[in-house]
Amino acid sequence: MTMDDKRERFEAQVMPHLDAAYRFARWLSRSPADADDVVQEAFLRAFRGFDRLRGSDVKAWLLTIVRNCHASAHRQQQRRAAVALPGEDDEPAGSALPAPGPDPESASIGADEQRTLERLIAALPDEHREVLLLREMEEMSYREIAAVTGLPIGTVMSRLARARAGLRGRWLEETEGEPRAVR
Amino acid sequence: MQCAEQYRVQAYFDGEVDALSAIDIERHAERCPDCRTLLEDLARTRAHLRRELPFETAPAPLRARIGRALDAEIGAPRVATRALPAPRTRPFWLGALGSLGAALAAGAAVLLLMPVRPDPVLDEIVTAHVRSLMPEHLTDVVSTDRHTVKPWFAGHADVSPVVADFAPEGYRLVGGRADYFERQRAAAVVYQHGAHVINVFAWVAGRDALPEAATRSGYHLAFWRVGNLEYCAVSDAGWDELRRLERLLRDLGAREQMP
Repeated sequence: MTMDDKRERFEAQVMPHLDAAYRFARWLSRSPADADDVVQEAFLRAFRGFDRLRGSDVKAWLLTIVRNCHASAHRQQQRRAAVALPGEDDEPAGSALPAPGPDPESASIGADEQRTLERLIAALPDEHREVLLLREMEEMSYREIAAVTGLPIGTVMSRLARARAGLRGRWLEETEGEPRAVR
Repeated sequence: MQCAEQYRVQAYFDGEVDALSAIDIERHAERCPDCRTLLEDLARTRAHLRRELPFETAPAPLRARIGRALDAEIGAPRVATRALPAPRTRPFWLGALGSLGAALAAGAAVLLLMPVRPDPVLDEIVTAHVRSLMPEHLTDVVSTDRHTVKPWFAGHADVSPVVADFAPEGYRLVGGRADYFERQRAAAVVYQHGAHVINVFAWVAGRDALPEAATRSGYHLAFWRVGNLEYCAVSDAGWDELRRLERLLRDLGAREQMP
């Protein structure tokens, strides 16, 4: 197989999943710039490993690579932070998206609800948030989620249950007084 | 939620159980108020997430950056590939099998050159789906109105598939397109479900057995038949999402078949 063939097959099979990879990286990373770097590195690794791809689930394979790239970038950042800023604590877990402050100017009700939801999801523990988003937003099966996260299916199921219950509980707490705000 | 069945109920909600278990779980939920509440909560949470959370797409500069990085990768293949695992030392018996292996590999190469794919239509469909996702390729006729899309096919395809807007069920009709495969002008009806595009292809049945449901390149393909038409829904949406659209279209097709 020539490099051009490989490139063409890669374009056809892997590039269509760029948006999913980007969304996943956005939730994993602290900033859009970090997400960009993670996705680019993931696509390079994916391209280099493309010949060894077996099986048909390209999306799960790609998201696995995105997750690994995020993990190694995150470890590097922590090492650097430990050297440069001794004593300064890392941000608490689960601050993937910058919690948006109140913005009375543009706070339409819809945008408000979206921000609240984003903040609540960001506040979930990392390991709960990722299974929740892979299931609800990327619509992946338990088996695919298990492949991406490297967890047994039973663990996927229990984390998913806890993530959903956690999100629902926090949502009801936030919107207390608004009975059944979630239609 | 304390009921011991909660994980099975969740699996049912996620479309992860077979039909027999599904009946079992539905019966259980009829009797168990906890599980009924759980099902309602799961549906509410899902609807809420999919309605409120933005389906972000990768920014164009990032797409371009990746393209350049891949170009560079092709132009200058790296000699020391850090990402590749070092070649493993082979156990001694592999050496003895080496010559046999070479003979087998040669045989396999011959086999690979021959058309041994069980069903090329799967690849055709995935290719058509991926092509439709390229900018400006999705639809030939853009409309959310079935009365616009359906007549359009009369002049542009060899078949007249069922078309409907299932927006209330979460499947928005986007439009239609004509595609060529199975040696005919097939119809493609395009639906949007959340961030996912679903192509539903339809062509005149010309085979004894429908292909099995399959996953290719991360896209799921579901097949069914109504009357003399074969349908295939293809998308990177989840299986249960695809199957739900299949059910809606099957029911509609069955109703249209009735005199």
